[in-house]
Amino acid sequence: MFANAIPPHPKPRPGITGSRVLTSDQLSKSPALIPLFDSIREIPEVIDGIRCNCGCTNPPEFYSLLSCYESKGMARDCVICQGQGRLAVRLHKEGKTLDQIRAAIDAKFA
Amino acid sequence: MIRHLAVFAALGLPALLEAQIRASEVGTVSQTIDGTVISLEYSRPRARGRDPIFGTKAVRWDEVWTPGANWATTLEVSKPVEIEGRPVAKGKYSVWMVVRKDQPWTLVLEPRWHRYHMEPPDSTKDQIRIPVRTETVPFTEVLTWSMPEIRMDGGTLAFQWERVRIPLKVTVQPSLVMTLPAADARDYIGEYRFAELDSAGKESKVSAFSITHENGTLKGRWTPDDPYMKKFALIRISPDWFVPGIYDEQGTIYEVLKPDLVVEFKREKGKIASFVIRDMEDNVWGTGTPKR
Repeated sequence: MFANAIPPHPKPRPGITGSRVLTSDQLSKSPALIPLFDSIREIPEVIDGIRCNCGCTNPPEFYSLLSCYESKGMARDCVICQGQGRLAVRLHKEGKTLDQIRAAIDAKFA
Repeated sequence: MIRHLAVFAALGLPALLEAQIRASEVGTVSQTIDGTVISLEYSRPRARGRDPIFGTKAVRWDEVWTPGANWATTLEVSKPVEIEGRPVAKGKYSVWMVVRKDQPWTLVLEPRWHRYHMEPPDSTKDQIRIPVRTETVPFTEVLTWSMPEIRMDGGTLAFQWERVRIPLKVTVQPSLVMTLPAADARDYIGEYRFAELDSAGKESKVSAFSITHENGTLKGRWTPDDPYMKKFALIRISPDWFVPGIYDEQGTIYEVLKPDLVVEFKREKGKIASFVIRDMEDNVWGTGTPKR
């Protein structure tokens, strides 16, 4: 059977931090991505409220777009994860709310 | 003998289902169109010297027959579609044909999809029954379902066996609205100066960009022409955000560059002040400003 329609965006987990986002040491083979990962680490409460639309097979610990920047670091190789992250960071800097960021992510990537 | 084997299969004897050479091997055809997945699973009988097939003891006239073999052919759609203009709800169906000699055949989609070929369904209200036209084509040895034509808004699902072909026009629900009301389009129409930016954010190439509104669709075009995009549709995905739709030679959109390129307009005091084109990774490819 087919999967259901696009799932809703996840609810940011209370107290979520960016401590598990990959660091520059873990990104030595992708130095150009360090600023993006650093930006993601600064706004975990936003990124954790966004569904990833890349369609990759997510690991068991996957919860949100934030998960793509942690652990196995899918965002190291996935341009969709990177694009969603950059868009979220940019809109957050522009003062957009989480719902506005979700709407923009959906418009472009869903 | 065939009927005896069918009874064994109907009893669900698992040993028969594995590593078995079958007269009618299982095949599938699956196609995604604009996010709708259309899948058909069927067993594929071969003619094996039988010619004709229809109107004989293999498939009798007026028989309710599954266009396949063994377990009934199934059709599954992940979202609502239309087949030959008739609505078909999301779900899985067994597929049957009422095979007629001198009249249109009838396609029957039966919600109770797990049925054996020897159990054709009676006519019920919850079935979808669609008259279909048959075409005469060169002999086809193996019963074949295929999707030989794909459009932006659907495709043709085709059945073919013996000398019979039945094309079924499938229409999917569009994910985007291609048109834009004239009142909404007015803000964007005009001539722009477009500058491509290099990785350092400096202008690397300047060209003219024009936006028009034609036949209800907002359209963009560079001068000189971009050889791939030429004149393309600007399809709104959110307020002031658009994605390019690329036309084929017949003037039909065949590709939408989403999320590859997004044209983001910015307003000042309600009027369009500029736009940026961003790629999939949110990098700025170029910027445009209205020519005054």
